[in-house]
Formats: sequence, C-alpha cells, structure tokens
Amino acid sequence: MDFNFQIEERTILKRINWDMIILIFALNIIGLFNLFSATHGPHSQDIQQLFINQLIWLAAGWSLFFMITFVDYLIVTRLAYVVYFLNLCAVLYVSLFGTIALGAQRWIDLGFMRYQPSETMKLAMIMVLAKTLSHKSSYNLGLGVRDLIWPLILLAVPFVLIVKQPDLGTAIMLSAIAGSMIFFMRIRRWIFILLITVGAIAAPFVWSYVLHDYQKARITNFITPTNDPRGTGYNSIQSKIAVGSGKIFGKGFRKGTQSQLEFLPERHTDFIYSVLSEEFGFIGSSIVLGLFCFLFLVIIRIASSARDKFGALITVGVLSYIFWHMFVNMGMVIGLLPIVGVPLPLLSYGGSSMLTTMTMLGLVSSVAYRRYLF
Amino acid sequence: MSEYISNPEEAKELLPRYKIFYIAIFFTFLIFLSRLWYLQIIEGTELREFSEKNRIKQIKNQAPRGLMLDREGRVLVENRPGFEVVLNPQYVEDLPEVAQMIAPIIGIEKDKLIQKFERSKKQNGSYAQVKLKDNLNRDEVFRLKRLRLEAPGLEVRETVLRSYPLKENGSQLFGYVGEISKKQIPTYNQLYKGKIVFEQGDIVGKSGLEEVLEKEIRGTDGMQLLQVDAHGRETFSQTLDLYGEQIREIESTPGYSAVLTLDKSLQEIAYHHFSQQQRIGGVVAMRSNGEILAWVSSPSFDPNEFASGISPQIWGKLINDQFKPLRNKVIQDYFAPGSTFKAFMAMTSLQEKVITPQTIINCPGSLRFGRREYHDHLKGGHGNITVYEALERSSNVFFYKMGIALGIEKMYNYISTLGIGQRTGIELPNENSGLMPSAAWKKQAIGEEWQPGENLSSAIGQGFVLATPLQLAVAYNAIGTEGQVIKPFVVKKVVDHEGKTVRESNPLVVRDLTQTQKTGIKVDPATFKIVKDGLRRVVQGARGTARFVNIPGADIAGKTGTTQVMGFAANDIYSKCENRPILQRHHGWFVAFAPANNPEITIAALAEHSCHGSSGAGPVVKELMKAYFEKYHPELIAEALKKGKASATQEQPTNSEGE
Repeated sequence: MDFNFQIEERTILKRINWDMIILIFALNIIGLFNLFSATHGPHSQDIQQLFINQLIWLAAGWSLFFMITFVDYLIVTRLAYVVYFLNLCAVLYVSLFGTIALGAQRWIDLGFMRYQPSETMKLAMIMVLAKTLSHKSSYNLGLGVRDLIWPLILLAVPFVLIVKQPDLGTAIMLSAIAGSMIFFMRIRRWIFILLITVGAIAAPFVWSYVLHDYQKARITNFITPTNDPRGTGYNSIQSKIAVGSGKIFGKGFRKGTQSQLEFLPERHTDFIYSVLSEEFGFIGSSIVLGLFCFLFLVIIRIASSARDKFGALITVGVLSYIFWHMFVNMGMVIGLLPIVGVPLPLLSYGGSSMLTTMTMLGLVSSVAYRRYLF
Repeated sequence: MSEYISNPEEAKELLPRYKIFYIAIFFTFLIFLSRLWYLQIIEGTELREFSEKNRIKQIKNQAPRGLMLDREGRVLVENRPGFEVVLNPQYVEDLPEVAQMIAPIIGIEKDKLIQKFERSKKQNGSYAQVKLKDNLNRDEVFRLKRLRLEAPGLEVRETVLRSYPLKENGSQLFGYVGEISKKQIPTYNQLYKGKIVFEQGDIVGKSGLEEVLEKEIRGTDGMQLLQVDAHGRETFSQTLDLYGEQIREIESTPGYSAVLTLDKSLQEIAYHHFSQQQRIGGVVAMRSNGEILAWVSSPSFDPNEFASGISPQIWGKLINDQFKPLRNKVIQDYFAPGSTFKAFMAMTSLQEKVITPQTIINCPGSLRFGRREYHDHLKGGHGNITVYEALERSSNVFFYKMGIALGIEKMYNYISTLGIGQRTGIELPNENSGLMPSAAWKKQAIGEEWQPGENLSSAIGQGFVLATPLQLAVAYNAIGTEGQVIKPFVVKKVVDHEGKTVRESNPLVVRDLTQTQKTGIKVDPATFKIVKDGLRRVVQGARGTARFVNIPGADIAGKTGTTQVMGFAANDIYSKCENRPILQRHHGWFVAFAPANNPEITIAALAEHSCHGSSGAGPVVKELMKAYFEKYHPELIAEALKKGKASATQEQPTNSEGE
C-alpha cells in the first residue's frame, strides 16, 4: 500500500529538481542584466547584437536542458564514444583548418555561430570518462595503473590537440575536469604521490619548451602586473580596478565606468564578472558567488542520490566543469590567478559555452529525475 | 562493450568521496569572498579613485598670452591660432603602426617619431602627451583627423601660437617662448607660488620681456574635464550620468597686454639699417625721460621658430654662432667705451677745476709716462688745444694729462655717478653691470696695486673700463639733460584685456648730479654746458670726428669711440684695421643726443668689429636721428633746410680720423 502510494506521488513535476532549476535561472537572469550593461556602452554598437544572440542561446539551452532531463541518461553510455570520436574529429579539423582568431585556431564557422569544438570536448570527455570509470571499482586501495591507462589515453589525445591549437586554457580545464573525476574515484596513494612529484619536476621543462611567449607573459604579468600596465598586465589591473571600485553597493546598473568606457577588455565574455562586481559591488558579487556555491551543493546532492555509479560520475563531471570554470574565471577577474581565456558558465556571452553548460546541467537534471529506482 | 546495468549499491561506495567537494567549495567560497572583501571594501575607496582617474581627462585651456604693443598701439608681439598633433601614450596600442600612419602626413620619418615618443616617455613619464609636430597646415589637420579612429591616442589639438610679426627685429628684447623644461617646473612653481601652477607642456617666456613679464602676460589657464573611454575618445552618453558633479569647465583668462615705450617705425628703421650693413652689435634709442624708443641687437634670430618648437639644427646654429645672436647685446655685451669716455673725463676735470674751458694744453703725438710711450691716434698730435678741440678731435694726449692730474679715485667718484659700472635697472633679464675701476676694486678683484700708468689708459676709456651700450646712453643722457641720471624703461604700461591699466611705469630720475650726492659729488650745469658744446663740435665742428652724422636743425651732440680688441704694438695701432681678421677688428661706438640744448633723444650704438665708431656706429645713429626729427620735429629740419645750411655739411663718413 505504502509502496503504491509513493509511486502515485512521483509525478513529473515532483521528480524534477526545482532547486537546481531555480538557481540556474537566477544566474541566467543576473547574467542577462549584466550582459545588457556590458554590451550597451556608449561605444559598444558593434556588440549590442550579442545580447539578442545570448537570448537565443539561452532559449536553445533551456530546450536542450528539458529534452535531456526527460531522456534516460543511460542512452549516453551508448552515445559516449560516438560523441567523443566526432568531437575529436572536429578538434582535429580546427587544428588544421580553423578560423584564425586571437592568434589561435579555435573555431569552426557554421554560419549562424562559431562552433568551438574544444568546448564540447569537455562534455564528450565527461561522457566517456563516466562510462569507463563506472566499470571500475575503487574499493579499499583505489584505482591502479592498469585502471588508469585507458582514461588517460582518452584525455591525452584531445589534450595534445588542443594545446597545439594553441589553447592552453581549455586544455588545462579539460584535464582539470578529467583529473577531478579520476581523483573522485580515488587512486592509489603511491600513484598520487608519483603524479605530484612528476608534475613538480616537469614544470620547469614545460615553462621552457611547451609554453608560448604570450602564455609566459600572462603568468609573469600576473605576478607583477605593473611591469607593463599597457601591455599584458593591463587587463589584470583594469579588472582589479573595476572590481574594487564597485565598493559595497556598486556604481549602479550601466554606470560602471570601467566597463562602459571600455577599460575592461573582453568585458562581455571573460571579464563579465568584473562588470558585475563594478556595478553591483560586494553585495552583487558575493550573491553570485553564493548562488554558484548553492548550485554546487545541489549538484553534489544529486550525485550522492544518483541511482547508479554512472549517473553519479556524470554529475561529478558536470560539477567539476562548472566549478573549475568558475574558479579560474573568478580567480582571474579578482586577481588571484593569471589571465586565462576561460568563460564564466551561465554569465559569459558565448553560444558554445552556453549550450555545453545547459546540456551538461540537463544531464544532471536527468540524473536527478531518475534518482528513484522504481 | 557490455550493456550498463544500474547498481545502486555500487553508487553507495562513492558516498564518502563527496566530502572532498564540500571542502573544495567551502574554501573557494571563503577565499573568493575574502578577496572580494579586500578589493571592494578595504581597497575600494582607492580603486574607485583609480577608476575616476581612468575616465576623466584634464585638459588645460591654454590662456592666450597678452600682446605687446608699441607706444602708438601697433602690434609687436601677438598670437595666432595653430594646430598641433600629439600622442597620448597611455592609449597608444601599436606605436610602430601609428607612427607609420602619421609619418607620411606630417613628413617626419617613422623612426624619428618613435624615437621622439620613447624619449618623451622616458623623460616625462608614460602619461604626458607627446607633441609630434605643431604649426600644422590645413591639409595635415584634415588628414590626421581622419586617422583618429584607427589610431587610438592620436589627437589634433588647437593651440595658440606666439607670433612675432617683426621676426628677427627686436627678438632679444621681446624674447621668445617655449615649453617649460622639466627642470624649470619646480623653480617656476616656487617663483610663482600661490599664483600659477606650472605643468609639463606649459608654454613660458624664456627670455627678454616674455620672461620678465611672464606673471602678467601669461593669464590664467582654464581647465576642462572630459570623460574619455579606454581609447582616449571623448565620450558622451545619454543613458547614464557618468559625468557626476565633478565635470566642469573653467574658462581661461587672457593675459595682460604690455604697451611698450618702443616706436615701431624707429625700431624698424634701426634694425633694417643696422642689419643691412651687416653690423654686429647693439643700438638703443631712448627718450631723455628713459623711455626706450628702439632696441636692436644684431645678428638676430626669428623667435617664431621657438614658438613652434625649435629644431635642434637651428638651435645648434644659434648657440654656436660666434656672434651670439641670442645675446641681448644692448645690455649684455660690454666693452671698453674708448673715446666716448672722454666726455666723462672732460666733465670731471672741469668740475674738479683741473682745467677751465680756456685752458690750453699742448698735445703732441705721444706722451711719455713712466717707462712707456702713450700714443695719440694722430702721429703728429693736435698741438695746443682747449677741451672743446680735445673732444672735437678726440685727442688722446689731452685726456692722458687729465688722467694724470685727476687720478683714478676722482675719476671713479664722478664717472660712476653717471651710471658706468652699474646696472641701469631696466626691466630685462641678464643685464651686465660693466665696470668702472678704482684702486680698491683692483686690489680686491685682481689683488694688485693700482698703477699710475693705468690712469692714462682709463682716461681714454681703455684698460679696465667696461660699459654696455645702454649704460653709455644713460650716461650721455645725463650729460645732455645736465645731470639727470634716469632709469631706462621699456614697458610703458600693462593693461588688462578690457584695456584698463594695471600698472604704469613712470620716468624715474635716479640721481640729479646738480645736487650734492652722498659721495659729495656735485656737477654744475655750467660744466655740462661746456661738455655739451664740445660734443656738439664732434658732430657739427669743422674737424669733428663725426661730421657726417650732422643733421642741420637737429643740433646733434655726440662722441665716437673705438675699442681695441687686442693690445697691439705701437706701429700696429696705425695699421689698417680693415685688413685684420674680423674677430681682431676694433669695435666702434657712437653715442649722441639731440637737440643738444634740451635733448629729447639719446642714442647709443655699438658696432662690433667695425673698426671705427664714426663709420661703423655713426650711420645708424644718423638714420635714427633723421627719422626721429622727421616724425616728431619736422619743423626743425625744414627750417634748417630753408636757411640753406644743408649743402655745407653733406659729407661722407670718412675713416681717416681715429677716435
């Protein structure tokens, strides 16, 4: 009796995780207001159109979100490798023929949008890793070398291609996500220690032989930004000025001088959070930070109540995707991390980012929707 | 690949792993929140100021400098509108590209532009505007303005350029303007404390009247606060009030104008005549109350070139010119006054009763004193002469004897009261005081005793005696006016832009020699009259050394003089001066006043390396006298013409007589 009654209760609306949807929606609304301000300055005629575009991406994103919510995420296990392979081809294509933008080959021009395969690669990565890791067990000792070979190959191939583009930021994000998922599964302690040691030894070689000059400059300018205030350190300084000048309550909607007068570079994409901090001050920026943290807590709850390991891993993948993007983007904006071209999920302008994020959150929503076995 | 089968138990094994996420999220939240707190609350006020500085650009509205007008209101120095192109370094993104775009338009090489830019950045910091070129023509302005959008930081500014319509004429007197140097800024700010705050890029007077009158002539700069975007573009916006209450504009107040005592037409005659003869030296014409009428220093320079940023080539040429065009020779060049000094000697010996006007003194071709032979310029000497003839023919031996009789102390006491060896006090920078020696002075300056022989050389204005042209003018004016030592002045009055007089200079008599001085010196008017008669004979007498200067009716009195540039052996004195290299030629003096009875104008001319006073310095004095009387007293000249005296004195200057 009791059993049947419970099934009765689980209508579609009840099964959906509304907490998450409300949080995402709140961030979307704040993001739109903020983007409007960022794209409607006195000299921003050229980027005004982007606000409308973002509305379209948002509508498309939510459609994807709900479509995916109602599809059993197990279908992903069938599609994972196909998506991964196709995405890898796209990354390869970009490396060979992509449109040259910002000194790096990152885009495929689809006419209505510029598709950035390295962005969706993160999604594909989460899918294949969730699939392969869900077959492993990490009881007691954690994953051993044999368990790690295949996941690492899956990571290494796109990583190398993306580094070659060159887009070190995305490559690092990709490995951060993959690393978080693997680390979440637990690995053997000696492997963990070994990785850290190797990383520490390799760092100087990476600095000398792998990093491009502009990448090195970003790191050195992060350490001493006043060296070249008009050059690469400029963005970092202007962003800090923007954030700090907001003080407690901010300068008010569309009154941020740093953004309106274009002292902030890339203000509608990578530096969208500085626009927000300048116009809404400490109150506004901590609310957004808080909303992100609440979203993370909700996602963790979904992961821990997932009906199976695959669902949990997918959710953890999405969590690390949003977390690392927020971490690197905000860290850069508030001057804690070097300048890396990473968008802030849900707030930055950008079709690839928006659609990828909403698809991922759709997957999480689907895991939540199917948290009950029956 | 095997089909996945849900297994809830497996999912449970992951539960303990979530705590790592909670920890990560907790610490991220904490660190980011603290950082936001630090930036927005602790550093917020300071960073808000930064953002204000970012967007608000202060633009100085340069006040137009006051004009300089002559005594009749004719323009001597004025302003004209101009355009200049500047770069604002903080907005420049790609310097080589910008330089590449500008170079062909303004005709300066790309590399030179970059060099200029880098140099300015090093010297003035990376926020000071770099002026690339001014005085742009219309075509350049138009083409540069079109570039502005492509080249952030590029700006075409309207400016006020200083303009000197007289060009080279009088430039040492008017001075020139230029950008204040970084070193000058603290000095100037100290000097004008509480009145003007000087900044990089300000135009200031750098010499002459421009420098002296700076305080009155520069006006008060206005200010404009503009809102600019990151590319330095002025930005208006309707949607937001980004301006706040801070934005405002302060109008500039034009500087006061200076009405000078100069007479532009005399000034032009003086300069053209003097420079046409390619004379080197100075000419000053002065009214007897001290008002300067004409002021020429030659060779000269064009101050307009300074107004628009002088090129290093022209500057180098001016600095290295052996005849020093930048020097204001009227007050800065000082030489032995030579025979012009004899008038002072005549005055002293008459007043000291060494001679009377009737005293006849034998003057052979030379005089032996001590172990040395002192020569006259005339080998045969002048025979028995009175003081009148001694002045007329410029006898050396006569005055050697006066020197011996007087001694240096008496000479010093009298002649220094005429102003020799003292600054005249004219309102101009870097005036030289010249020198009137005395035994005490020699002891102190050189550490030697005064030698009796030096009385002789001093008596004919050689030796240690040094004077500037202006000093001689003042001293001769004192003789002409029978004792009035005046302070010469060139600024008649300063008026504000509405024409109201701010200050006025009044003629000032520094000393009246007919009254007993502190030193006990007193000169009788009768003494002056005798000296004046002697000086009159120099110009109007049959054997006067400056007969050709005479203008019938003008009643000119004056004296020629020659300064030996180097000491020559006895026979060298008679060798032809013109045959020597120019730098070894004698300097010529001529000082005159007219009408002799009641002088209105005194003129002193120094013609360096011209060999003779009469032929070198005389003609310009004659031209000026003629122009002066034609303008102010045409009746006197006309009368003289009617009397038919004109034909008697039409002589050409002759170099035969020495002075």
